[in-house]
Amino acid sequence: MAPILKLDKVTQYFAGLAALKDVSFDVEQGGLFGLIGPNGAGKTTLLSIVAGSLNPTAGKIEFQGRNLTGVKAHEAVHAGIARTHQVPKPFRSLSVLENVEVGLRFGRRQRSANDTKDSMKVLDWVGIAHLYLLPASALSVGDMKRLELARALAARPSLLLCDEVCSGLTETETALILRLLCDIRRAGTTILYVEHNLRAIMSVCDHVIVMNYGQKLIEGTPEIVQNDASVIEAYIGKKAAR
Amino acid sequence: MTSTAQPQKPLLSHLATGAPPLLLLIVVALLPAVGLGHNTIRLLFVTLIWVATSVAWNLLGGFAGQVSFGFAVFYGLGAYITAMSFNAGANRLAAILLGSCVASLAALLVGLPTFRLRGPYFAIATIGVSEAVRVVMTNLAVTGGASGYRIMEKGAFNQLLHFYAALSLAAVAVGISMLVRYSKFGLALIAIREDQEAASDLGVNPYRSKLQAHALGAALTAAAGGVYVGYAAFIYPQGVFGFDISVAILLMPIIGGVGTVWGPVIGAVVYGLVHEELIASFPEFHLLLYGSLLILIILFEPAGVMGMLQKLSRFVRRRSSLGSHS
Repeated sequence: MAPILKLDKVTQYFAGLAALKDVSFDVEQGGLFGLIGPNGAGKTTLLSIVAGSLNPTAGKIEFQGRNLTGVKAHEAVHAGIARTHQVPKPFRSLSVLENVEVGLRFGRRQRSANDTKDSMKVLDWVGIAHLYLLPASALSVGDMKRLELARALAARPSLLLCDEVCSGLTETETALILRLLCDIRRAGTTILYVEHNLRAIMSVCDHVIVMNYGQKLIEGTPEIVQNDASVIEAYIGKKAAR
Repeated sequence: MTSTAQPQKPLLSHLATGAPPLLLLIVVALLPAVGLGHNTIRLLFVTLIWVATSVAWNLLGGFAGQVSFGFAVFYGLGAYITAMSFNAGANRLAAILLGSCVASLAALLVGLPTFRLRGPYFAIATIGVSEAVRVVMTNLAVTGGASGYRIMEKGAFNQLLHFYAALSLAAVAVGISMLVRYSKFGLALIAIREDQEAASDLGVNPYRSKLQAHALGAALTAAAGGVYVGYAAFIYPQGVFGFDISVAILLMPIIGGVGTVWGPVIGAVVYGLVHEELIASFPEFHLLLYGSLLILIILFEPAGVMGMLQKLSRFVRRRSSLGSHS
C-alpha cells in the first residue's frame, strides 16, 4: 500500500538549536504508527509540523501525494489531518457538544444533515455523551482528553495525530483510550501516535519509530524495537544496557 | 457505553428568545408617544447610538476576544463620510450605507497587519492607528481640519426621525449580534477567543474570521456615526475620532458583560444615562470615575452586569428550592 504520509529530511531549528534533524519516514495507510522517545526527543515538534502549526526549517511533508510543507494548521485539517494536544485545550466556556461541533462544522467539509446528531455520535463513541451539556471547563482530566479526541475525530481526518493521550490517566482510563484508538483505526483512520509511555505504545502499535535528540534512532515492529540496544540505552542509560 | 442522548435543536426556545427583545423594541418605539420632553428623547437617541456601537464592538472584542482601542476610527469615518455625501446630495440612508462600506474597507485594511499580532500587542496597535487617524483628520483641509464640518440640513428639523433612525440601527445591531452568537461564524469567533491554536487545529481560519468580525463591527459603528451626525449636524475630529470615544465604546460592553448578547446593551444604557449626569456634575472628574469603575469591574466582576445577574438568579433559585424542600 502507498504511504499516506511521507516525511523527507524534516529539520527544525529553534534559535540555532536543532529540535529535529533530517527526520525521514513513511506512514502506511491504515496503520497505527507509534512515535516514542525520551523527553525532548522532538516528538511533539514533529507532530506540530505535520499538523501545520509549525513551519519546518527544511525538509518536505507529503500527504496523500500532496505536498503539505508549510501549510497553515486549518489547511492541514481540510486536507485530512487532525491532531490532539498533550495538554488538553478545550474551549472552556463552550459546552462539550459545542466543542465537538467546532470540529464537525469547520473540519473537512462533508455536509452533515444534522450537526447535533453527528456530534452526539462522536461523543458517544469516546464515551462522554452523557456530559454533552456541561461546559468543557467542568470536565475531569480524563474526560478532557477524550473530548480532545472527539473534537479531532469530528473533523473527519484520514490521519489522526495523537499526542500523549494517555499521560496523567489511570490504568483503567489508559486501557479504555487504547481500545478506542484501535477502534478508530479499524474504522479506517490512520493514526500517528506519540507517546512517552512505552507499555501503552507497544501494546497497540504495529510499527514504531524511536527518536532521540531530534533524530530517528530506529524503526520497526514493536518486538524489534524493544530488543534494540540503542533504544534501551536511550531510555535507561548506558550502564543498565550493558 | 452510555446511552445516546439526542438533544433536539430547540426551535421553540429560539422563538422564545426572540419574543422579549421584540417586546422591548415596541416599548421603546412607543416611548415618544407618552409625551416625553425634547431633552429626554435626545438622551434616548444618544443612548441608542451607544447601544449600536457597544454591540458592534462586542462582535470582535466580546465574541472573538480581540480588544480594540480603535473603534473611534470607524465611528468618525462613518460620521464624516455620511456628512460629506449628504452635503453632496446623497439620500440620507445611502449616505449612511456608504459610510459603513468605507469603514468596512478601512477595518480590513487595519486588520491585515494588526491581526498578525496577538493579545495586548493587537490592542496597542489599535491605539496607534486610532491616534494616527485623529491627527490626520485634525489637519485635513477638505473636511475643515480641527474646526470641524457642518451638515447642510435641507428640510425642517424632525427629532423623531432621528430617534427612529437610531432605534432601527440599535435593533439591527442587536439582531445581528443574536444571529452571530448562534451561527457557525459565532462558534468560530468564540473558539478563537477560548483558544486560537485549538481553533485552527480544528479547521477554523482565525485570521479570516477576525477580519470578518472587524469589518462587520466597523460597518455598524460607522452607521452609528452616520446617524449621530444627522442629528448633531456638526462634527469635529476630537469629537468623533477622539480617544475617549474609543474608550467609551469599549467600556460599555465591559460594564454590561463582554461576549454576551445583552451585556453590551445594558452597559450602553447604563453609560448613556449616567454619562450626561456625570459630565454635568463633575466636568473635571468624570474620566477618573470611569477609570475607577473599569478597575472595580475587572477586579470584582469581570462578567459585568450580566455576571451579577446570573449570580443573583442562581442565588434566588437556590433559595427557592431550599424553601420548597423544607
